[in-house]
Parts: sequence; C-alpha cells; structure tokens
Amino acid sequence: MEQIHLKEIKSVSYEKAEIKKGYTDQSLRVNLDSNDIIINPIQEKIKNKFIGGKGYDLWLMWNAVSGDTKWNDPENAICISSGPLGGTPGYPGGGKSIVTSISPLTGAPIDSNVGGYFGPYKKFSGFDVIQVDGKAKENTIVLIDGIENKIKIFEAKDLPTDSYELSKVLTRHFDETKPVNVSVVTAGPGAAHTFFGCLNFSWWDAGRKMVRYKQAGRGGIGTVFADKKLKAIVARFGAVSMKSNNPADLDALKLVTKTHAKEIHELDPKQNRMALVGTIHLVPIMNDHDCLPVHNFKFGSHPESRVIGEEVYEHIFDKGFDGCWKGCAVACAHGVKDFSPFTGPYRGKKVFVDGPEYETVAGCGSNLGIFDAQTILEINFYCDAYGLDTISVGTSLGFVMECFENNQITKEHTGGMDLSFGSRFNALEIIHQMARGEGFGAIVGKGIRKMKEIFAKDFGADMAFMQDIGMESKGLEFSEYITKESLAQQGGYGLALKGPQHDEAWLIFLDMVHNFMPTFENKAEALHWFPMFRTWFALCGLCKLPWNDIVPEDNKNNPEPAKVVKHIGWYADFFSAVTGRKTSSDDLISMSEAVYNFQRIFNLKMGYGTRQHDALPYRAVGPVTVEEYESRQKRYDGQLKEKYGLDITGMDSTDKVAALRKKREEQYELLKDAVYERRGWNKNGIPTVKTVKRLGIDFPEVMEVLKKNGVV
Amino acid sequence: MIEVDDKKITWSEHMTVSSLLKNLEDVESCAVVRLNGRLVSSPDFSETKIPDNSRIQLLPLVAGG
Ligand code: SF4
Repeated sequence: MEQIHLKEIKSVSYEKAEIKKGYTDQSLRVNLDSNDIIINPIQEKIKNKFIGGKGYDLWLMWNAVSGDTKWNDPENAICISSGPLGGTPGYPGGGKSIVTSISPLTGAPIDSNVGGYFGPYKKFSGFDVIQVDGKAKENTIVLIDGIENKIKIFEAKDLPTDSYELSKVLTRHFDETKPVNVSVVTAGPGAAHTFFGCLNFSWWDAGRKMVRYKQAGRGGIGTVFADKKLKAIVARFGAVSMKSNNPADLDALKLVTKTHAKEIHELDPKQNRMALVGTIHLVPIMNDHDCLPVHNFKFGSHPESRVIGEEVYEHIFDKGFDGCWKGCAVACAHGVKDFSPFTGPYRGKKVFVDGPEYETVAGCGSNLGIFDAQTILEINFYCDAYGLDTISVGTSLGFVMECFENNQITKEHTGGMDLSFGSRFNALEIIHQMARGEGFGAIVGKGIRKMKEIFAKDFGADMAFMQDIGMESKGLEFSEYITKESLAQQGGYGLALKGPQHDEAWLIFLDMVHNFMPTFENKAEALHWFPMFRTWFALCGLCKLPWNDIVPEDNKNNPEPAKVVKHIGWYADFFSAVTGRKTSSDDLISMSEAVYNFQRIFNLKMGYGTRQHDALPYRAVGPVTVEEYESRQKRYDGQLKEKYGLDITGMDSTDKVAALRKKREEQYELLKDAVYERRGWNKNGIPTVKTVKRLGIDFPEVMEVLKKNGVV
Repeated sequence: MIEVDDKKITWSEHMTVSSLLKNLEDVESCAVVRLNGRLVSSPDFSETKIPDNSRIQLLPLVAGG
C-alpha cells in the first residue's frame, strides 16, 4: 500500500442519534474554514415539508448561500443526504445518496443521484444529511466514523492523485480488516481543472474483494469539492440490516421488499436483462429508433453502432454480482476486469473499469464517431479516475469535433491535434490534458457554454452557429438522447430544473413511437406527473431504475402503462412501512411537488429560473444544417406538407430548414405555456403565489424572492 | 410453432414481427422484441421475418435511463 500521511487536526466525539422510522433527525455541518463540526436537529416542520434526500439538501443549501453566491465562494456548500428509505438492504435500488451544490456550469443548484454505500453509512452513523462548506487551506479529509462515534478532520499529504487509487488506499487505511465498513467520496485531478468534475462514491465488492465506484456525475460538484481542497469524505459503519432504519412496521417492510425483489429476479431475464448488460441494451434500441446521438447529435443512428452495443459488452463484462447497493436485485453496475489502457498513466497496467453505462457509450462513443468498445472503456476509466463526468465530456467533445470539422476552430487552436469525428487517440489526449489542466483540454474542460464564448472571442468562430449546435441548456451539457422528433422530450430536457438531464422525464417513446400524448395538454400533463414522481426517488434515497426498467407482466393491461402503477403502490407501502406515515400513491406526488417548486424558486433566487432559461439549442429541436435535413428529407418534407400544410414546391433545402425551424420553435414555446400552466406557474415560468401557498412553501424568504421578481 | 413469452403460437410462412403483433392483444406499447436473443425495434418490425421454432420475448415499454 502507498504510504499516506494524515494529520488529525480535529476530532469530536458524539452520541449517536437513535434512528427512528428512517430518520436520525439530525444534520451534520463541517466548515472547512474554521474546522467547526456542528450537529443540528432537523425540525419536524422541515421534515414534513422536505421529506429528506434532495429536499433536505436544498433546504440547507438555500440557507447557506445568498443570491450572489458563486460556485467557488466559501459559503457554497456540498450537501449529501440519504433519505428515509435509503439504506434498506435487499430493496431494489434502496441505497442512493443525493448530492447538491451550486454548479460551476449553471450557477444554480445542481443535484446528482448516486449509488455506493456512503449515504446509508452516513445516516446510520447519525446524520440524515451532511453539509460541507468553507474552504480548507491544506488538502483535507473528513471522516464520519459511526463505529467509534467520532467526526475527524485530517490534513492529508502524499495521497495518490487519482480517484481510482485514492478510494482504494483510504478504504484500507480506515478499516484494514473490514473494508466493507468504509465508503469513500473522492474527486480527482480532472475535477480540479475542469468545470464538470464528478464525485466517485465507493462500495465494497465482496465477491471480487475490491473497491468499486459509482459517480455523482452531473454539474461539476466534484469541481466544487476540489476547490475546497477536499480530498475525500469517508463514512465508516458496521453491519446493515432491515432493522437499521428502525422501521415502523418491519413485517410490512420485509413483505414489500421481498415482493419487489422477487419480481425483478423473475422478470429481468425475460425483459431487459439488466443483471447481464446493465443499461447497454439501450444502445441498439436507441439506434434503431433514430435516437442515439451520432456526431454531436446531428444524427440518431449509425450502421457501426452494433459494435458498441449489448452484443459486444455482454461478453466483455466481468461476471458476478454488480449491485451498487446491498442486495439490489437489478445489479446493473457492471464492469470490466483486467482492462489494459493503451494511453496515459495506467498504460499497460491492468485495471478494473466500472462501466460503461449507456450514457458513456452514447456520449463518448457514437456521439464522437468512435465505434470502438475498447476506446470507450478507456475513456470511461480515465474519466472516473480523473473525476470527470462522462456525459459532459462526451457532449463537449462532440461540440468541439463539429466545430473542428466546420473550420470554426483549427489545428492552430487545438495544439496541432486533428479533432475530426472518430479521432479516438486525440479524444483521449484531450481527456489527459483536462486532468492536467493543460493545453486545449483545459479549454474543453470549461464546458460548452464557456467554449462558445472563447471560440467566438479568441478564435473568431460564428456564435450563431455554435448556439445552434452546442448541446447545452442552462449551462449543463445534454445527456445522450436525440429529441428532434419528440416535442415532449424537448420539454423533458428544456424544462428540467437543473438543465438537460433525463432524470426528470424520459418521454421519447411515449411521445414519438407510441403517440400516447398527441395534444399539448397531454404532453403538459406528462411533464407535470413524471418529473414530480421521479423527484420522489431523490427525496427518499432510492434508485429509479427498479420502478420502470423491469415491469409487472400485467402492466401492459393498465390504461397508463408508463406509470407502472403497481410499483407506485409498492413504493407507497415501502414509505408507510418505514416512516409509519400512512401513504397513498397520490401522496408521493404531492411530497415531490413542494420540493420541486422550491427548487425552481431557488433557481430564481440565484438569478435564473425563468422562461428565457428554459431555452434549447436548435439542434435539440430540429435539423440545423442542410446536411441534417437532407439525411432525413422524406420525414421532414412530409411534416412540412402534412403536419404544417405548407406548399414546398420550389423550396430548396435551405428554405425548408428555415420553414421547419419556424414551426418547431413555435411549438416549443406553446409547450412551455402549457407546462407552466399545468405546474401552476405564470407565463414567465415562475410559480404563482397561489401555487406556493397550496404547497405550503410560502416561507417569508420564498415570498421575498417571488416579490423581487414581480410575483405578488 | 413459435414461442412468444412462453406461449406456443402456430408459425406461418412469411410471418413478420408486425404480422405477429397484429394478432396479439395488449401490445400497443411494444416497441422492441427479442427474437432468438437479438433485439429488434419497431422500425424494423415489418421487414423482420420470423423463422419457424423461434423464441420471441415482447419487451415492455422502453423507459429510458
Ligand atoms: S438498479 Fe443498478 S444503479 Fe440502481 S441501485 Fe441497483 S445496481 Fe445500483
């Protein structure tokens, strides 16, 4: 093991709060300026309104920052929570952590839902949520030791630089004999040098006897972590059982856990086979439906996509149990053993790659024109080790490659590198540069929004073209689905609170393939219901995948199959069993609605959160270029004639691109109107006073923000 | 004979995924099937022939990430 040096600079013993019905009712604050360690009670009214998880994070964040706070100000906090249901072993997806901070990319609150054991271990150590703020002077590690009942702060020296090695070393350091007792949160060198640094959350793989990782990827929380000179937060706790949450009704909890897990064991092999291929089954499916991003989201399919799909990865993935939570029956967190990188500091060594998932294959594979499973693995590995979000990396590099192919940037700007689509070695080199904060990679690491400014100002690139093709909204890079033919999913991305991540709504198939929501009202209803229900997972500390990636056999007979109503009933039972609050399926939606609207108003507090910030790059809405239009000419011509009633005789492709654009942009604005109305927001996308009162979030400071924005 | 989600169905010549689905109930939300282990998506349903003795699984609504 490498020799590391930790100097204890603070140690506080505490009496562990007894967990009652899923809650410790305490928060932990660690201030890195003063090294203060503060334990606070969580009031009943906050618990009832914000539920836990992301709700608690946002409430603490709201109180920590002002409207002027920037991501790198000391008062910006990183909050990590579990939720009342988090930490239930055997419940599929029952152990997530939810992380929030003010994002370097968006300037507004960002949240990320991540696996690994940290959230539950922290809760069972006595804290529903942890808030870290301030900035350390030296490299720092925070330990929450729920076995010894101590919080410690260390100054750290001689640590491995990358996340991959650091988590390993710290796991052994803090519990040599029982590494399963430790979960480590780390960033990496890439997080320190880019705006889209991720956090790695570790879990102990007992079968393979090694540390594994899941990533809190989106929005640059790793960057905030690194800026605070935090090297790691470590949670240590012992055995976890169904009783650890001290549930209100243990028998009911056992029953619902067994029922859900049994169904997954029976049906996953007949459905998406996630225990074998994870989310990679989506690669061929998205390709065949023209929804797989290819060449910076220009196209939705490519003949070579088969070589980066499930047929290939199924044989590469190492066999074994891959649950990123204890006993998760879906067990979809696959990895590749004995991978030997061909570039970078690990060149020629054997490493275990955690992944890839669909998003990484699509973003760092097809979107870059890289149809090579090995290169995607290598990108995946280095992004994790360096602490980089693979989604932002893939989407940003796609933008760079299209700019390069269009001569918006040249070799003169890229340090002599050819960055055409498919340039796999140079894509890898950019990633190594990001980790070192050097060369053109340092510019790419600032994300698309900043790159557009730099390319226009310093390289003379065409801003209007870059606005159209740069796949970011609110400053966050898009996750990996083509939305051109699904107006509802354009809303799913554009109207998402934190930016274009699909965790709020994934409506492509319901809308585009099945046409289940033909009217604006139907789409608005979906863009109300799905974000609200999906938010609930983040309040409770759960993973969303077991809800709708494996569904009951009779689900197809339900009038609303997309809601997977039977599972929602189980989640209501789960919530009732742990918390003792008798809960119906409808209650789950109202729990989320309050937090959802609070987050929208939080955006407003930070200077965002209005209609103009829900804008999309036109690439997400329709074909930007003649090349794109002509590649699907039959489809687009048909729409101009039949859907919009235009006579296209005599129009050339440029005219048609413009005509289609006018129509589609109008549709998106109409969608915004319909969704705002359904959500109880005004035309400018701000929750009305009536909505805020109905949801019981009419706190004086919330009303103040509304008033400042003309909502009275 | 073919097997569709564990049920036996008589095979016919020129049978495609489309023609099979037309004769089944409650399949409106089926956009992907697994035909002898291989994924076939709805845009290819009408061109995809089903050989005799095939095993077909109708995958549920695609839910995304
Ligand atoms: S479903 Fe997959 S991602 Fe979710 S908790 Fe289980 S193993 Fe982790």
